[in-house]
Amino acid sequence: MKRTRRRIGDIALQRIERLFELAEAEAKKGMEKRCDRYIQLAREIGMRYRVRIPSHLKMWICKGCYSLLIPGKNARVRLKGDYITTTCLRCGKQMRRPYKALRAPSPRKK
Amino acid sequence: MKITSSNLLQHELMGLKTEVEESSNSNVSGICGTVVDETRNMLVIENERRKEKKIPKAGNIFIFELNEGVRVRVKGDMLVSRPEDRIKK
Repeated sequence: MKRTRRRIGDIALQRIERLFELAEAEAKKGMEKRCDRYIQLAREIGMRYRVRIPSHLKMWICKGCYSLLIPGKNARVRLKGDYITTTCLRCGKQMRRPYKALRAPSPRKK
Repeated sequence: MKITSSNLLQHELMGLKTEVEESSNSNVSGICGTVVDETRNMLVIENERRKEKKIPKAGNIFIFELNEGVRVRVKGDMLVSRPEDRIKK
């Protein structure tokens, strides 16, 4: 049982990564609808099998409209104080993540 | 781990090159291109003229081309389910 779950998680993660690759390729071609569809699917797979979208990919999803953010195209990335601020140019949502000092370790993670 | 013939049914079909080998509809057989979208009952295939063809999965036999030129023949009936549900099948 445990083994099958791990295998499922493994495949789910691979699919998510693959979908992000495809989404990026489509975005470069200008096929926005397809790009959105791939991100939507990646999110659905992640939710269904309780697999996290890797943080280096999650960074580039808009938290407001779930579009793939590409700096220079539909996203603006600026350093503001202690934060990297990414603005989605489609919906205007701003996402901030710290880049300086590491936060105190969370009590949940051990 | 990559896409192999053993885990193709659970894996992502999007972006793979495919060809409809056999179909109950003679107009559909022989269509080849890349898979660009997938629903429960259909595969959307983009052919070399950049036209999207919607092809039902059920009743057709597909050949998928994996990387390194491996070709896998799949009965479409085995693919019938939503793309995000297919992992568990």
